[in-house]
Amino acid sequence: MYAIFKREFLSYFRSPVGYVSIAIFSFLSGFIFYSQFSAGSVNIGSEVISLRSFFIIIVPIITMGLLAEDKKRGTDILYYTTPVSLFNVVVGKVLASFALFAVMFINVIIHIIVTVACGGSFGVGGVGTIIVFFFMAFMFISMGLFASAITDNQIVSAIVAFLFILITQLLSVISEYAYTASYSIVKVLGVKADAATSFANAIRKGIAWLDPFVKTQDFRLGIFSVSSLIFLVSVGVLFMYLTFRVLEKKRWSQA
Amino acid sequence: MSNKPVTNKKHNDDRAHKLKLYSIGSVVLLIGIVLLTNILFDGIFGKVLTFDFSDYGQNSISEESQTFIDSLAPDTHVRIIGLFNRPDNVSGTPYQYIIPLLDDYERKSDGKITVEYYDLTENPTIINQLDPSNSYDLASNADNFVIEYNGKIRIITPLDCYSYDEERYFYTGVYYVTSNNTEYVFTNTINMLTSNNVCKAYIVSGLKESTSSYITQIMNSMSINVEDLPSSDNFVIPEDCDLLILNGPNADISEKMYVAMTDYIKNGGKIFIAVDFNTKNVTERFDKLNLLVNQMGINIDPAMINENDPGYQRSGYTIDHTVTSTDTFSDYSSMPYFHATYSRSISNYKNPSTGVDVFPVLVTSNNASLTEFDTNGNAVSGATDTTGQYYVAMYAASQSNGAQMFVFGTTNFSSDEYISGYGMNDVNVEFFKSCIRNLTGSKSAASINVEVKNVDNFALDNTKATTSSATMMMVIFMIIIPVILVGMAVIVYTKRKNL
Amino acid sequence: MIEINNLVKRYGDKKAVNGISFTVNDDEVLGFLGPNGAGKTTTMNIITGYLSSTSGTVKVNGHDILEEPELAKKEIGYLPENPPLYTDMTVNEYLDFICDLKGVAKSKRKQMLERIISLVKISDVTDRLIGNLSKGYKQRVGIAQAMVGDPSILILDEPTVGLDPSQIIEIRKLIKSLSKSHSIIISSHILSEIQEIADRVVIINHGKIAAVDSLTDLSKRLSGQTKLMLTVGAPAKECAAKIQTIHGISAAVPKIVNNKVSQIELTLVGENSTEIRSAIFFMMARENWPILEMRSLDPTLEEVFLNITAGKRRA
Repeated sequence: MYAIFKREFLSYFRSPVGYVSIAIFSFLSGFIFYSQFSAGSVNIGSEVISLRSFFIIIVPIITMGLLAEDKKRGTDILYYTTPVSLFNVVVGKVLASFALFAVMFINVIIHIIVTVACGGSFGVGGVGTIIVFFFMAFMFISMGLFASAITDNQIVSAIVAFLFILITQLLSVISEYAYTASYSIVKVLGVKADAATSFANAIRKGIAWLDPFVKTQDFRLGIFSVSSLIFLVSVGVLFMYLTFRVLEKKRWSQA
Repeated sequence: MSNKPVTNKKHNDDRAHKLKLYSIGSVVLLIGIVLLTNILFDGIFGKVLTFDFSDYGQNSISEESQTFIDSLAPDTHVRIIGLFNRPDNVSGTPYQYIIPLLDDYERKSDGKITVEYYDLTENPTIINQLDPSNSYDLASNADNFVIEYNGKIRIITPLDCYSYDEERYFYTGVYYVTSNNTEYVFTNTINMLTSNNVCKAYIVSGLKESTSSYITQIMNSMSINVEDLPSSDNFVIPEDCDLLILNGPNADISEKMYVAMTDYIKNGGKIFIAVDFNTKNVTERFDKLNLLVNQMGINIDPAMINENDPGYQRSGYTIDHTVTSTDTFSDYSSMPYFHATYSRSISNYKNPSTGVDVFPVLVTSNNASLTEFDTNGNAVSGATDTTGQYYVAMYAASQSNGAQMFVFGTTNFSSDEYISGYGMNDVNVEFFKSCIRNLTGSKSAASINVEVKNVDNFALDNTKATTSSATMMMVIFMIIIPVILVGMAVIVYTKRKNL
Repeated sequence: MIEINNLVKRYGDKKAVNGISFTVNDDEVLGFLGPNGAGKTTTMNIITGYLSSTSGTVKVNGHDILEEPELAKKEIGYLPENPPLYTDMTVNEYLDFICDLKGVAKSKRKQMLERIISLVKISDVTDRLIGNLSKGYKQRVGIAQAMVGDPSILILDEPTVGLDPSQIIEIRKLIKSLSKSHSIIISSHILSEIQEIADRVVIINHGKIAAVDSLTDLSKRLSGQTKLMLTVGAPAKECAAKIQTIHGISAAVPKIVNNKVSQIELTLVGENSTEIRSAIFFMMARENWPILEMRSLDPTLEEVFLNITAGKRRA
């Protein structure tokens, strides 16, 4: 695991990918910080929340090569033929991307120091959003890694990761459409209006329940909910396991 | 549909088949475990495992509220109803500090308090259910909360839950929230609805005064039902009036009102008067009002207090100063120092009728002076010389009929303008509440002293966050750091490319 | 020591490997011979744990690759057909990563890498980017990678493919030097290469073992036949008929027929091919048919297999 982590993490800095993604992150976070700073009040919490919307760009960039590139180069054979377990390979790769996020986050830490030095406040709401930021980064990285496992083309992998994150971000919107759609479908099938409404409502609630952004929104107010973090972790672990299974499948697949 | 290849395949692929089954099975199992764990944590442990670490515990009820809720009878059922669908995302909305707190009420009340949300267009029946006589016009309260107990209801708007700087609002049109009163308002409203002995106060309106929404809220919290009593030609003080308030009138009372109030005093009425000296009433001598208070041995002088003692001045102004409470009233507040602005002098009036005890309540330093004004609003020269101690508030109680009266020469204890700026926990407000409790006696409940919470404030020190430092931030964070990183990328790329 | 027992690997309806069994002894070089697509790579992938077999077992020094994969994999160094090289790393970085991957202790690492690097002769490129190395160096780095962790068994899949002749000689030398302390399985589709390096040969075709033999046995089997390709300026049919009358020629098959030039494939029987060639020359001279070219044909692997299987059937 350590071997994979070390290689992948260092490889970000052996190629321009690491520097460029950190540069993008620095620029975006710097822009948000600057616009708050020039208005005379800096809320680190809302800066971090705004930064979350850039997962959709940054995560695909840093995860697209993780496994797809290995398959293309043929280096994935090393994971199968050396005494390292495939799951540890997955863990090592996720950790490497995660560590890159941690490095990027130094920007925000500098912003916090500047804010406090300039008499602003950094409260528990800010801490909450940072916690959510990292848990969410973990979840999206796992999704990105999975996208990288199912193809050997980096571009395809990036697009799939992009779609995963997009869908996650739009879950609330999707739930509204699902409500309308399921309502009209059930209505057409001849169900009574009351039952149709409650059915459609259940679907809407079910989909909206999956939305990690809604689940964790109270962290910025200083309300820390363990169960929503468990949700993020478990989805992340699920995608890690799926990735592991995809790798493992190569062994016995007869296709 | 031949069977042969199928059996053949099965026989040969036993190992792969098993692995496939294991693989799919384990994924399905894990999805199941993930779903189950999350449903379990979300539904059962979710609320237990939610911790409020917010500054000032914005989103949790305080011990005072908890004690109060625990003291309610177990079969009490208070409904808090939001007349809208519960929003998914509350941050940045006025509900940011309200909805999470209401959840906490529900969570910690053992079923005594329930929180529901009904959209009025989706559930129009709720209006009739809560307010059958339609006396509150709930249909126009679609963004507000209703608290219902035993058929009695109260409406709370999100705006009620915050203090905001009214002066800033006046000039900029922006609500600059100074404190979060949500818990104060909800706990005390519930307290009022559930307590049995409710007394009634009337605030006289129509004398060019400003609004009185904060003291209404404060008195509500003391289970005092507050109603408006407009001045009119047929002004009558209602039978059920326990307390009459004149909060910062800028015009004198009418003859009719004078008669009614005199009558009210004779029958042991309680009056609270606050009047200051400002540009709107500089020519007003309050002759009739004076006749009224004179009956209780108090006089409202046509003079403004100048505090000359620098130790009592606030920011160097003689008209913005500190006053102290006298020993008699020292237990009215935790601190004996109060903030008074544009104070009108209140003095003793030699009352021929006996049986009235008069006490000074708030006094200036020994080094204050008066500026007297004539009927045209011009300062009377020569009158400023007499330095000494002056009274800013007085109290009178009649031994014969039990009438009581507070006369304040400043509105800093009761005006919306002051309370909005300094908050519900200000010492002036504390003193005001003691005065009201004194006037209403056992008929008012002690309000539940919930701490008002500060709202998160992210403002920077504006001596450090200047335009030039902002530009510097932009240059450093948006140009220098990214450019350095891109430069490193180029260097690393070109260097390694040729290794 | 590797024991392979009744290995089967299916892809869809096709069996890439169909019931292969053989054993590799300690410190032995086993040549694994077969044409492209015969199942060599699949078999090697199964032995190294990259693929799981549909049925059958592989035991590496007593550890079953499916049941004790980590112990088994520790014993094996594998150079796949495409060496698993990270082109974005330098040789040193890469070998260090492989050490991490195989769990080589930090204390032993330096000494071991020095030994491997000098053995495979890559000390002058250790700080260069793998992507910039020549094919030969890449192959050596691949072998170095396989040797990290001191496995007792090396499995090399077509190690000389795509190399130029001098590189091929270098690599063969290297493998020979390694064979003193390792069991080696080396696959190839070139017969001569195997003949040069291996102690023993396993020949597979269409996923099945065609023969397991020591090298001397193999050459005996192959020696029974020689083929010549003859290009003459003569009518093909006539010429072929004439030639067949020469003693020691069992078949003469015209390949290319054209007005003036014919190509005829001759199958010779017996050892004395020089005599036969002279006989052909004199016959052609007599007929006034100019010999444009006469060369001997190396048997293709397919022919070897045909030969072997045919021989078996005959026996």
